[in-house]
Amino acid sequence: MKPRVAVLFGFGINCDHETKAVFELVGAEADRVHVNRFVSGESSLEAYDILAVPGGFSFGDHLGSGRLLGNRMRFAMRDALRTFVEAGKPIIGICNGFQVLVKTGLLPGPASGAPPDFVQRGSLTLNDSGRYEDRWVTLEFDPESPCIWTKGMTRIECPVRHGEGKYVMPSPEDVDRLQEHHQLTVRYVDPVTEPGKGISDQLLPYPISPNGSMRNIAGICDATGLVFGLMPHPEAIYARWLHPLHTRQHDVSHGASLDGWEGEGLQMFRNAVEYVKQRS
Amino acid sequence: MRDVRGDVVRRQLMADHGLDVKAVRSICGYLINGETPSNNIEARVDDLFADPIIEHGATNTTLLTTEAFSSPPDAVITVGFKPGVTDNPGKAATDGFLTLFPTDTDATIATYITYVFYGLPEDCSADWLAGTLHNTLIERALVANKTECSTGQWPELTFPTPPEQVFIEPQAIDLEINDEALITLSEEGLLALNLNEMHAIQGHYRDETTREQRAAMGISPDAPTDVELECLAQTWSEHCKHKIFASKIHHVDHETGEDTVVDSIFKTHIMKPTHDMQKEVDWLLSVFHDNSGVIAWDDKWSVCMKAETHNSPSALDPYGGAMTGIVGVNRDILGTGLGARPIANTDVFCFGPPDWEGNLPENLFHPSRVLRGVHAGVRVGGNESGIPTVNGAIVFDDRYIGKPLVYCGTVGLMPRHLPDGRPSHIKTPVAGDIVYMVGGRVGYDGIHGATFSSLELTEESPSSAVQIGDPITQKKMLDMVLEARDAGLITCITDNGAGGLSSSIGEMAEYTNGCEIDLAKVPLKQAGLSPWEILVSESQERMTIAVRPEDQAAFESLASLHEVEATPVATFTSTGMFHVRYGEATVAYLPIEFLHDGVPQLELESEWRSPQIPAFSPPRNANHNLLLERMLKRPNIASKETWVRQYDHEVIAQTAIKPFVGIKRDGPGDAGVIAPIHGDPHGLVISCGIAPRYSDIDAGAMAAASIDEAVRNAVCVGLDVDKMAGLDNFCWPDPIESTKTPDGRFKLAQLVRANRELERVCRAYRLPCVSGKDSMKNDYGSGPDKISIPPTLLFSLFGDHPDVRFSATSDFKQVGDIIYLVGASKQELGASELAFMLTESGEAVGVGGQVPQLPEPTKNLDRYRALSQTIRDGLVTTAHDCSEGGLAVALAEMCIGGRIGAHIDIDGTGEGDAWGRLWGESLGRIVVAVSPEHNDAFLAAMKGHETTVLGRVTAETTLVIEDGLDELLSLDVETMVEAWKGTLDLTGGVA
Repeated sequence: MKPRVAVLFGFGINCDHETKAVFELVGAEADRVHVNRFVSGESSLEAYDILAVPGGFSFGDHLGSGRLLGNRMRFAMRDALRTFVEAGKPIIGICNGFQVLVKTGLLPGPASGAPPDFVQRGSLTLNDSGRYEDRWVTLEFDPESPCIWTKGMTRIECPVRHGEGKYVMPSPEDVDRLQEHHQLTVRYVDPVTEPGKGISDQLLPYPISPNGSMRNIAGICDATGLVFGLMPHPEAIYARWLHPLHTRQHDVSHGASLDGWEGEGLQMFRNAVEYVKQRS
Repeated sequence: MRDVRGDVVRRQLMADHGLDVKAVRSICGYLINGETPSNNIEARVDDLFADPIIEHGATNTTLLTTEAFSSPPDAVITVGFKPGVTDNPGKAATDGFLTLFPTDTDATIATYITYVFYGLPEDCSADWLAGTLHNTLIERALVANKTECSTGQWPELTFPTPPEQVFIEPQAIDLEINDEALITLSEEGLLALNLNEMHAIQGHYRDETTREQRAAMGISPDAPTDVELECLAQTWSEHCKHKIFASKIHHVDHETGEDTVVDSIFKTHIMKPTHDMQKEVDWLLSVFHDNSGVIAWDDKWSVCMKAETHNSPSALDPYGGAMTGIVGVNRDILGTGLGARPIANTDVFCFGPPDWEGNLPENLFHPSRVLRGVHAGVRVGGNESGIPTVNGAIVFDDRYIGKPLVYCGTVGLMPRHLPDGRPSHIKTPVAGDIVYMVGGRVGYDGIHGATFSSLELTEESPSSAVQIGDPITQKKMLDMVLEARDAGLITCITDNGAGGLSSSIGEMAEYTNGCEIDLAKVPLKQAGLSPWEILVSESQERMTIAVRPEDQAAFESLASLHEVEATPVATFTSTGMFHVRYGEATVAYLPIEFLHDGVPQLELESEWRSPQIPAFSPPRNANHNLLLERMLKRPNIASKETWVRQYDHEVIAQTAIKPFVGIKRDGPGDAGVIAPIHGDPHGLVISCGIAPRYSDIDAGAMAAASIDEAVRNAVCVGLDVDKMAGLDNFCWPDPIESTKTPDGRFKLAQLVRANRELERVCRAYRLPCVSGKDSMKNDYGSGPDKISIPPTLLFSLFGDHPDVRFSATSDFKQVGDIIYLVGASKQELGASELAFMLTESGEAVGVGGQVPQLPEPTKNLDRYRALSQTIRDGLVTTAHDCSEGGLAVALAEMCIGGRIGAHIDIDGTGEGDAWGRLWGESLGRIVVAVSPEHNDAFLAAMKGHETTVLGRVTAETTLVIEDGLDELLSLDVETMVEAWKGTLDLTGGVA
């Protein structure tokens, strides 16, 4: 059985096509489903095993990125989302999707064991630079994170493309609590550090940290490790030909399509699909 | 918490004016016009208007009175939109409000921003400050100065309620008046019709058959209604009909003695060559007649491309003008065939110098403010629409102060066949199909855009000609339309751009030979619009779509799912008539044929004499090190990274060659390469060429150079030269001789020469032009103060790349790689960037002399074919186009991209002296680097094609250039990086 993935779209979500594609490349069956199809009941979230909220500019980021789509989901899909999370099904939010999950309160969510309460605990706000930028960053993953999406991943390079990616919480203690539970799943790191040793709590300079996030946070998960969001775009490096330096790596054959050319972002989607397969 | 919005303003004031402000804070304000009691709203502020983690919120009072602002500021400025101007955050807020208060269905919200200044220098006036923060054409600002701040008199904007529009019943307009009165009628009504055209219209209403038909319809038999006259003015505008390109031109060349007549430049030099080429290849699916040109890309997919300009609106409101430019050309793609999906944008801008210190004519913004606004508009339009900006350019010249050029291009992708089997590039409407207006509503904004852009810019240019795009409304529409297409619901689709419904329905009605429109059904932004205004308004984000009657229910339900407004407003007929009603009353009744083909052909005079400008001669004892540093700082050459990096260039996960290349990802990319089908490395190359300053010597050479540059750029990444197509976008100063334009004959001769070269080069390159556009009134003012742009051709190219895994980039990669010049240098320094730099500084007397020529294009093509094949064979991974600044700048950029040095000898690279070989801009040249292991294979492949060894990539981080025994320059890579990257930030940085 192929795991079924609902890739949300509508109202300015933009990365729905490639998000659908990467799930299909790792063996899932993915549908682009308009938000309103879930709201109206025409489609049922329950029929899916994974939910992806892709990147984009839902409602133009007006009134704060992710806020308006977050509200639609928080108020019009509340029960369906709660059931989905409580059923232990994985959710990913990428870029605008991450912003949406944070504004709905699904991320970082309540402490371990509690059901989703849709209370916003952190926020994503304007980059310190004041600019929207598309630039490649280096990411490292907390190996002890409960996050099912990042298992076995150490370091990848991929682009950020956002103007509001600075993750903040009301106090350092709030971040401490997440860090203790290894929910600070992924962080921006200096590319010159040794892989596996790049994670730092000290604020790294622009543009290594492109936005000034607390503790260089690029993405977080909830207490269960099933709900995960990040600002950078792992789907944008599904193939190595999308890497900015690929013309420097000519050690590969003219083989068919992705043969020898798989990009390092694809593993994240494979992890979730494999997780679902093993559970069923 | 940092106030980043405020910080940006603070940094910008420092960068633009050297103004040192201690702190700026910002407040986002929302004016709510609805039924919901304010205490209900107050309870939900943190759910919608304020972020509970990072922001303060207050209801029914300004935040300035709260603890959040305890110390008194030095100035407070509140900026909001004028009534009727598109307020995108307001629209989003209204949508969000409805989520929380679903019963308050008529609520509307308007937004404003308040800037709060602390530590303002004493001599800085708050009113002046307000001027830097808003555009009076579209925004209003209220100011509190220091005294007012100390006494708590805060600026408070009221809800921007648009003034009532006065509905004017359609009326007949008497054309039986003398010629002078006809001209006055045209000018005062902003119709932009000349006397000949007014006569043609007059003639139509004198025809007996016409009068009988009209009498039978109950419409004024012998005079046009205002609806008809406006409709004809839009349809016959230069903007829509390209009358200059279609004109009969008497061309005299005083140098060759030629005296000929050119009957339509467009048909002769653009259409004919493409149609000839169409007979030789099987991949040209649709050229010229649709909203964009379509080529078959493989068995399953076709691609299309279109570029437009949005110059006049961008001069008046850089942000809104540019945004409507980019989202407008996206709609051209969506309106191609039965609907294509926009997958890539290109942006090319021409501005005045960003560091301009001279006078600015009345009503014009400083070039740096134009740059910032245009960039922001295109950035928001492209990014929010989820379309990557993969290629572009920014060009600077003094003369663009009068009119900036804003070229926006879009590439589209569509399946060759729809699920129901219909070829997607062919529209299939039949009489009886229902015509929907889909997307935004019609408002007073955007009236007279097409005719306005056909006039020169003046101080009185109307504000209604400016609009702000709404990418989210458009994105919803785009999602919906593509679903409708795949469901087989669309029989015909086109964009509502210039001329509004009158053009969109009018053009589509040609397919079935007739239509009947009811303007009373058109949804309006505000009540009271008169019928002619509804017909011609260019309000944005609208498509016109035809649907079979039996598919109406499915189409409407899809629209409702996507929350897109779709209203049936017309029916296709086969009556031969463009029939417009308002309710029951007929308000326009024009023969389709007269509407589209009735405009009389212009007859124009063209005379060529080469312009006399002092020849460039280089100074003695030059220090080429210093020259290279200075050249790298020239705005035309310097890195545009600050600006370009703010475009999303890789959404859709397809961009294989990005605008930035090299180890630090900051070297220049020559062309964009995308692989749009996920998992498949089959690619598409997108590039452009532009060389407006060559027009100072010869606009023909300018055109040839632009085309060659576009091709060279594409070859550098591995284009298959046997499958490429081009777009010609001409921007010209008014070339019609008149009292306002005494040199019209010369400007028209420039146009003739440019088009002749376009034909010659495109035929030689087997490069069909599949779509194009012209903008022919790029002047500001009149008399001695008149500013005319240099004649400018943007040539955009899209072509096939069989496998993006085998591409090349401009950065030097490996020590020891052998560097070659493919092509040869000539003594061609006329109108070069070096000549301009040294003439501006007084080190040379003029930019004249030999401008780069393209004498043997066929040879170039053969060379390009051979070179691009070596790239696709994996032999070459480094290639860079040689253009502005010649070989020296190309090599410097390649060192910058690789952060690595090179040792070069330019001896033997062509005829001419060291200046010509180092700085000359001869066409047809590409620098490549080849690793030693591939050297033999590379040389074998390039046998018979001019290829000269230049030197090697070296471990020392220095670029050394020698000419035989003479060392010309030796410059450290980091020095070059600093020069190249340090010029064009203009924003005050990021901290």
